[in-house]
Amino acid sequence: MSYLSLSNVTKQFGDTTVVDNFNLEIAKGEFVSFLGPSGCGKTTTLRMVAGFETPSSGNILLNGVDITHNAPNQRNVGMIFQSYALFPNMTVAQNIGFGLKVRKEADDVVKQRVSEMISLIHLEAHANKYPYQLSGGQQQRVSLARALAIRPQVLLLDEPLSALDAKIRVSLRSEIRSIQKTLGITAIFVTHDQEEALSISDRVVVMNAGEIEQVGTPFEIYNFPKTRFVANFVGSLNTAKAEILDPASGLLNMEGIQLQTDDGTKNRKKGDTVTFAIRPERFSFVSEGKKENVVEGRVVNITFLGSVVRIQLQIGKTNFNMDTFNRPSLELPKIGDSCQVSCSKKAVLILED
Amino acid sequence: MLIELSIQISAITALGGGILGFLLAYSVTVGGLPKSLRPILMTFSGVASNFAGVPLAFAFVATIGRQGFITHILRDYLGVDVYSAGFNLYSFAGLSLVYMYFQFPLMVLIMAPALDGLKREWREAAENLGASSTQYWLKVALPVLLPSILGAMILLFGNAFGAYATAYALTGGRIGIVTIQIGAQIRGDVLYNPGLGYAMAVGMVIIMAISLAGYSWLQAKTERWLR
Repeated sequence: MSYLSLSNVTKQFGDTTVVDNFNLEIAKGEFVSFLGPSGCGKTTTLRMVAGFETPSSGNILLNGVDITHNAPNQRNVGMIFQSYALFPNMTVAQNIGFGLKVRKEADDVVKQRVSEMISLIHLEAHANKYPYQLSGGQQQRVSLARALAIRPQVLLLDEPLSALDAKIRVSLRSEIRSIQKTLGITAIFVTHDQEEALSISDRVVVMNAGEIEQVGTPFEIYNFPKTRFVANFVGSLNTAKAEILDPASGLLNMEGIQLQTDDGTKNRKKGDTVTFAIRPERFSFVSEGKKENVVEGRVVNITFLGSVVRIQLQIGKTNFNMDTFNRPSLELPKIGDSCQVSCSKKAVLILED
Repeated sequence: MLIELSIQISAITALGGGILGFLLAYSVTVGGLPKSLRPILMTFSGVASNFAGVPLAFAFVATIGRQGFITHILRDYLGVDVYSAGFNLYSFAGLSLVYMYFQFPLMVLIMAPALDGLKREWREAAENLGASSTQYWLKVALPVLLPSILGAMILLFGNAFGAYATAYALTGGRIGIVTIQIGAQIRGDVLYNPGLGYAMAVGMVIIMAISLAGYSWLQAKTERWLR
């Protein structure tokens, strides 16, 4: 049974539909990320769970209780904001204890919980400091502790790492995930950063224009994108159009070049035009491995990306990117050279538009 | 005694103007009044806070003076004679009312940006943690705003304390606030004791310096919090 359920949730601002018929079931203890570009409705959905926005239609159930129209202070949902939202007039300890104080918890309970939370975020030496005396990463950890101190049923994280620098972002996201697992708390994480979403989540909800494009594990989202949007948004991708030559065997024709896929041609007709996608890292030089889908391309450009080298190839009239691991023994072709590359049938994904 | 009168009128108008100005600023920033009213109030405040001295005194005399336009309307058409009821524009209360006219707009101008500085996320975080609106205001918003409010009131106090032309034009020197006394001692129509005038001026400078130091300290505290 799902712990948090959003059923047919729609949100309109005037004539604009920001979230359209959103359906999602989240299990207890699950970490779910909402991933999508700015304006796709992910934060609005999160704010509806928090109670800061009321759905135009649909229901939100938390542990079987309909909370759709409950005020934010009657939901027992913790939230972490992008801008930390720490109260500037209070110390770290006072910020963490705020939720317990307003709930009229006994002083010794407040003291003990605050102490536990400060230990959890490893800021024992900073308990009496004010927010302005802390770094961004420390402030966000205090914000996390403050949200967890009230023992919320669900933890909502609204782009909590966006304001931090890259190194802190990586370490803090691991810390958030570790704390979430330790406490077994259900969490929803909003982000537009695909790497963040894929690295931290049990499941990812990819959103676009107020609708869910795909829900799946990070592995499914990355390797088996269902739509062109997901394929383009998550990771880098080569896309092109092809004609189906044989639906049964998955034979495609792209500008006279034949490719084979084992993904989703059976329900289509011969002669249909489809969009297919291949991830850059799924290509390899023919000499390196398997020889399925062998095609010839001309090297247009070569870019070093640190651990990876990206080679741009012109195959037919279309440019494709190919990624290969950078290693000292790597023998790279020159710009203008022709070379044979291949990819497996499984690497050729048919996209729903 | 003279200082006391000046302190009284400054304190009363700082408090009255401060409260009125804060409420107006609150109404047009976070209070939910239509946004279209904000530029109107801010423009009015910008003009009114600088509208002091002889023109302001004359404007009040012409409207709610003994023979003022509004006084006449109230008396002739509504049967309300405010002067018979005890009101007197040329008294301490009347002078306070006139001072309020340039005091509350100054408070609006100072407090509107401070109220804008209250982040929406603070309210949401407080609500999310279980706080009611009252708890949010008492424990977060007002403590955050308090240095600004107190600082602004100190500024209003100083503003009224140094006023001269308005009081002189309105009362003709009948209400002996310090600035009028200094003028009388230095100008010397009847009284002439420049030394006493300068001594009183030094006293004023000290009080103003204390006020400004308090204002600066409170502003620094707010800025540090909101960094």
